[in-house]
Amino acid sequence: MAKAFKYGLKGITGYLEPAERELLRGLFADVIAMLEPEERENQDPLSALIGLDMEVQEPTDRAVRRLLPNVMKDDGAASLEFRQLTERSLREGKIGALRAASLGLDKDDLTLTETDARHWSTALNDVRLVLAERLDIQDEADAEHVHLMQDWSQAEDVESYLALVYNFTTWLQESLVQAMVHSLDTQPGTRR
Amino acid sequence: MTLSVALGPDTRESTQTGTVVSADSLTAPDVPWNLVIWNDPVNLMSYVSFVFRSYFGYSEAKADKLMMEVHKKGRSIVAHGSKEQVEQHAVAMHGYGLWATVEKATSGGKEGTSGKGKGKRG
Repeated sequence: MAKAFKYGLKGITGYLEPAERELLRGLFADVIAMLEPEERENQDPLSALIGLDMEVQEPTDRAVRRLLPNVMKDDGAASLEFRQLTERSLREGKIGALRAASLGLDKDDLTLTETDARHWSTALNDVRLVLAERLDIQDEADAEHVHLMQDWSQAEDVESYLALVYNFTTWLQESLVQAMVHSLDTQPGTRR
Repeated sequence: MTLSVALGPDTRESTQTGTVVSADSLTAPDVPWNLVIWNDPVNLMSYVSFVFRSYFGYSEAKADKLMMEVHKKGRSIVAHGSKEQVEQHAVAMHGYGLWATVEKATSGGKEGTSGKGKGKRG
């Protein structure tokens, strides 16, 4: 069984079984695959280098749209313009965090630096956002319903399996955030 | 947002401070854009508050107050500034996985000042 992340003298430490590591590796890889920008034949290499993507469209997949939301609520055109300037680097940032967390799973010792912890928390969060879309968690009542699923012997279909995975990643992230808060509280002078 | 799983009774404290923090010091007329964070049923309350603390450098009390406003009212204005400033914040929030948008300070939303007598519009 996984152990909750804890903040102590060595920093933030956790423990995951091999099967749990394998599960997380798969989840991180899935979200990375969703976020990989499409390669286009006529892509201007200089634009790509500085993160511009003038051909970008609002994502059609709901989960991707949740990861890369519009910057304005009621202005699709302005949001798209902003997307052209920022979406590529946002995708790359998220992929970077997911890859870093995934690499961390290769080490036996799960001790996280502050940077590692940040990568882990955003990676786990993005995984949870994607799982929540797949589970159709639209409101707090849906979330409560999914949350009731805690017993792995109940996993009978894809949905119940996804719910259990979602609850596992939620538990793991909550413990990580508590450890990060603990770390923040014990470091004087970090507040701006 | 979601309260998530219980990690033990010692890990969750009440965030009710009972104080009303004035927001008017941040709504100067020359900073006409807002950064809005929207509620969703996925992001953990602890995580949202942590992001407000670590990214904006807000105190725990302020971060929790804003987080609870997102949770209870569905949205909260968490920062003000020029369009470029709040857009930069929005991208950072998207990086963290929070649902953020930007809007002109005079449009939408009933938080903060009413916008009455501010002159410019749209």
